[in-house]
Amino acid sequence: MREKRGSGGFYAWLFQRITGVVLVALLLLHFWVTHGLPRPEGVTYERIAPRLATPTWKVIDLVFLVCALYHGLNGVWMVVQDYIHSERWQGIIFLLLVTVGAILFFLGASTVIAFKAA
Amino acid sequence: MAEYVFKIFRYDPEKDETGRVQEYRIDVQPGWTVLDALNYIKWFVDGTLSYRRACRHGICGSCGMTINGKNGLACETQIKDLGTTVITVEPLRGFPVIKDLIVDMEPLYDKLYAIKPYLITKTPPPTDKERLQSPEDRAKLDGKYECILCGCCTSSCPTYWADKNFLGPNALLKAARFLFDSRDEGYEERVSVIDDKHGVWRCHTIFNCVEACPKELNPTQAIVDLRKLILRGKL
Repeated sequence: MREKRGSGGFYAWLFQRITGVVLVALLLLHFWVTHGLPRPEGVTYERIAPRLATPTWKVIDLVFLVCALYHGLNGVWMVVQDYIHSERWQGIIFLLLVTVGAILFFLGASTVIAFKAA
Repeated sequence: MAEYVFKIFRYDPEKDETGRVQEYRIDVQPGWTVLDALNYIKWFVDGTLSYRRACRHGICGSCGMTINGKNGLACETQIKDLGTTVITVEPLRGFPVIKDLIVDMEPLYDKLYAIKPYLITKTPPPTDKERLQSPEDRAKLDGKYECILCGCCTSSCPTYWADKNFLGPNALLKAARFLFDSRDEGYEERVSVIDDKHGVWRCHTIFNCVEACPKELNPTQAIVDLRKLILRGKL
């Protein structure tokens, strides 16, 4: 084989699986708590906001945010690695994905952390 | 006898810029396989048709090709089982075409050599007997050792189509055949090759290889087993 081998892939795969499992668990929790499934309740500000303002739910939502961003952007990165073979373009797109992830994390985290149920 | 239309991919590197499809209408006899039909065309209709074949019994792996969109061995594919009188025959996808239905298998062999497809031992062999293996350890190789290297699995893999550096289901199945062999002592050498972004982690679990394998093996399961093996080794 001419190409260099032994250059990773394990952690990207492992964290994709871990975040996938966490996302399924958190989504089930979300539908159960927020939407009241399996018996739907009205999604009103009065019912939801006080819970979102508690430290416990802020931590849960931050974990949700991190897992969703990692899982989604890592998925895009895998597709990029499949179809774009230029190392230069891969590097550019990787930086772009990290930047998009950082911006979305900042927007999401600042919303979650600062939220008050006034 | 019934008349069948064979639409066969033709490409002559000395004449054609690109591939074309040539139609042959032949009478097919009961019991014929696709290889029988190809032989008939070559021997009695058009001697310029090129394809690989050898054993005619599904053992040598020479006649892997794409038949009506699905990879398989021409010698094992009964024409009546295809359920149509129009049969398309193409060379295995994902490999460079040399001529007509003959593809360059070198990329497949390159990947195979990379995983070191032979028993690696570091301890000296017993002087009075061969390296013994229990029936239970031998049974762990079932579904892994029967590969005939026809290339149908790797050729059907969309991940391989996209990433030609991907080791592919064939090489990874073969790696599993040795890594799960109780007599083998080549864990580090082999894992250093397959624990790679173009190795076991590149597989997207599409299962095309399972559907394509004419020996009904399960390369996807082998890849999952390899991932578990590497995971246990790292944790």
